[in-house]
Amino acid sequence: MPAQLVAGNSAVIIGAMYAGCDCFFGYPITPASEILHEASRFFPRAGRKFVQAESEEAAINMVYGAAGAGHRVLAASSGPGMSLKQEGISYIAGAELPCVIVDICRAGPGLGNIGPEQSDYNQAVKSGGHGCYNSIVLAPNSVQEMCDFTMKAFDLAFKYRNPAIVLADGVLGHMVEPLNFPEEAVVPNIDTSWAVSGNSATRHNLVTSIDLDFEEMEKHNLKLQAKYDRIKQNETAWTGYRLEDAEIVLVSYGISSRIARSAVDRARREGMKAGLFRPLTLFPFPEAGIRELSEKGCRFISVEMSNGMMREDVRRAAGTEDVGLVARYGGNLIRMDQIMDKIREVA
Amino acid sequence: MNPKDLASYATNTWCPGCGNFSILSAIRSVLAQLDQEGYPVEDVVLVSGIGCHAKIVDYLNVNSFYSIHGRTLPVATGIKLANPDLKVICFSGDGDSLAEGLDHLIFAAKRNIDVTLILHDNRVYGLTTGQFTPTSPPGFKGKSTPLGTEELPMNPPELMLASGATYIARGYTHGIDLLQKLFKEAILHQGFSFVDVLQVCVTFFNLYESYNQRTYEVKDNDTSSFDEALKIARSWNYDDHEARIPLGKFYQVDAPTFDRTFPGFEIRDVDRDSRIKEVLEGLI
Repeated sequence: MPAQLVAGNSAVIIGAMYAGCDCFFGYPITPASEILHEASRFFPRAGRKFVQAESEEAAINMVYGAAGAGHRVLAASSGPGMSLKQEGISYIAGAELPCVIVDICRAGPGLGNIGPEQSDYNQAVKSGGHGCYNSIVLAPNSVQEMCDFTMKAFDLAFKYRNPAIVLADGVLGHMVEPLNFPEEAVVPNIDTSWAVSGNSATRHNLVTSIDLDFEEMEKHNLKLQAKYDRIKQNETAWTGYRLEDAEIVLVSYGISSRIARSAVDRARREGMKAGLFRPLTLFPFPEAGIRELSEKGCRFISVEMSNGMMREDVRRAAGTEDVGLVARYGGNLIRMDQIMDKIREVA
Repeated sequence: MNPKDLASYATNTWCPGCGNFSILSAIRSVLAQLDQEGYPVEDVVLVSGIGCHAKIVDYLNVNSFYSIHGRTLPVATGIKLANPDLKVICFSGDGDSLAEGLDHLIFAAKRNIDVTLILHDNRVYGLTTGQFTPTSPPGFKGKSTPLGTEELPMNPPELMLASGATYIARGYTHGIDLLQKLFKEAILHQGFSFVDVLQVCVTFFNLYESYNQRTYEVKDNDTSSFDEALKIARSWNYDDHEARIPLGKFYQVDAPTFDRTFPGFEIRDVDRDSRIKEVLEGLI
């Protein structure tokens, strides 16, 4: 099949269907509602479950239930709804269940507006709920990746029995680009070693996040941390652009990284050795890649639609406070000239 | 005070023909009237949730609080408890109060807190462009129900009756005189007052024709009778396209209100510093 013109939010559902996703639970919220609409169009026809829940909390708890039954479950929302889901995400992480949540970030705080922003960085990457846990966070920057990363998120969620978040924004959700459909569809099996299916094979399984014994809860926490360490070792992903001889490195993800990439080309034309470091995973954050560049003497500029949330991680990885920031938030995209001014200042 | 004095400078972004205009106009007249009758508009606080309805607080030059989706009533409860002398009027939508914030609606009625809730019940999520809500009729085809919803709708007046609300009424946005009468009664009522307003969304669920044919005003009903109110509320379940739709006041009774009976109300005029000392010394 030739590539089809598809919107980012639709690509999420295409990826989810190919990934064997069984269930979708959602609540209307702009700019993520099209994921709900597409799920309602396709899921029932393909024999899968779709519910528009009565609230964001209800939706995430339906996710918790279906995930506990071993199914592949998807939820989607945007900033205010993600905040409401945090309690459920913490429980899902604590109970070590797999699920995928797509966050089409909008401008905040509070109701904010429906323009794009990347300010859900902290509540996604730093785990916005209670307790010591982490969600796996993937950061697409194209319609193709909205599909592919949704599939990848299911792989990782099941590999580690952990929530995985696809962190996008209003522009990625709504823009239309050619999409090559996945070549193969996943046919999932229920893993009876942990899922609860209401039959004798899974009778011994218990889904819970409670442990009143302090020693046991401590052990469980250490086990979770060991899992996050394995995720850091095995799943960290990033991609570079013109980094070979770069002296100034823009660090950027999602829709901002596409603007940053254009800025790299323009800076090169002006004779400045700029490059782009683009994290594909935000948790785990690609620290080693940045550290290596830092040791080679590169200087960094974080380009993000939030108030330096990611810059904190870049600073930590680079081992220096001296990381520039090009930021814009409130519903507008970063302008090319903002980035160029900063590059010239650093160069 | 002239109702015009309550207009704000904000540009109105509701669709032409939206039922919200009637609610805006009715509440403006009622607030102006009340202002002349000894309830100064300075003592009124409007609270809205999130949805098309919520913009109403932008269009009224009255103290107001634009709250969170579903959380209109907890915010209103906080305001009322902090200052029981205020008249607190909530505007909420069917998605706002019956879906995301249903628990708060039931608890506001259960506590019988003295606030008014005006429900802009258009039976569709308008701001997010057309998904079904808890009061959409079965078979409703919206953006998230392309095959029609199979869920049965909720009956808000029946729910409020069961939950303990002490004033329950229904209005319709074609019928501004009745709306004004109900809003005024509800605001003056001591206790939790609930007005379900059939508010037509012309863009995503235009029910004008159906409502014009089917609505009628209930008269001479015994509004102190729970059973009679229940019967009226149940005579239309938001699902039957043939049933006639009663409008008007269904129920009104006197009962202790939360803001007057909750612990601490009686001592709010007491010197709190000395009271703290007294209480702490009693502990030692």
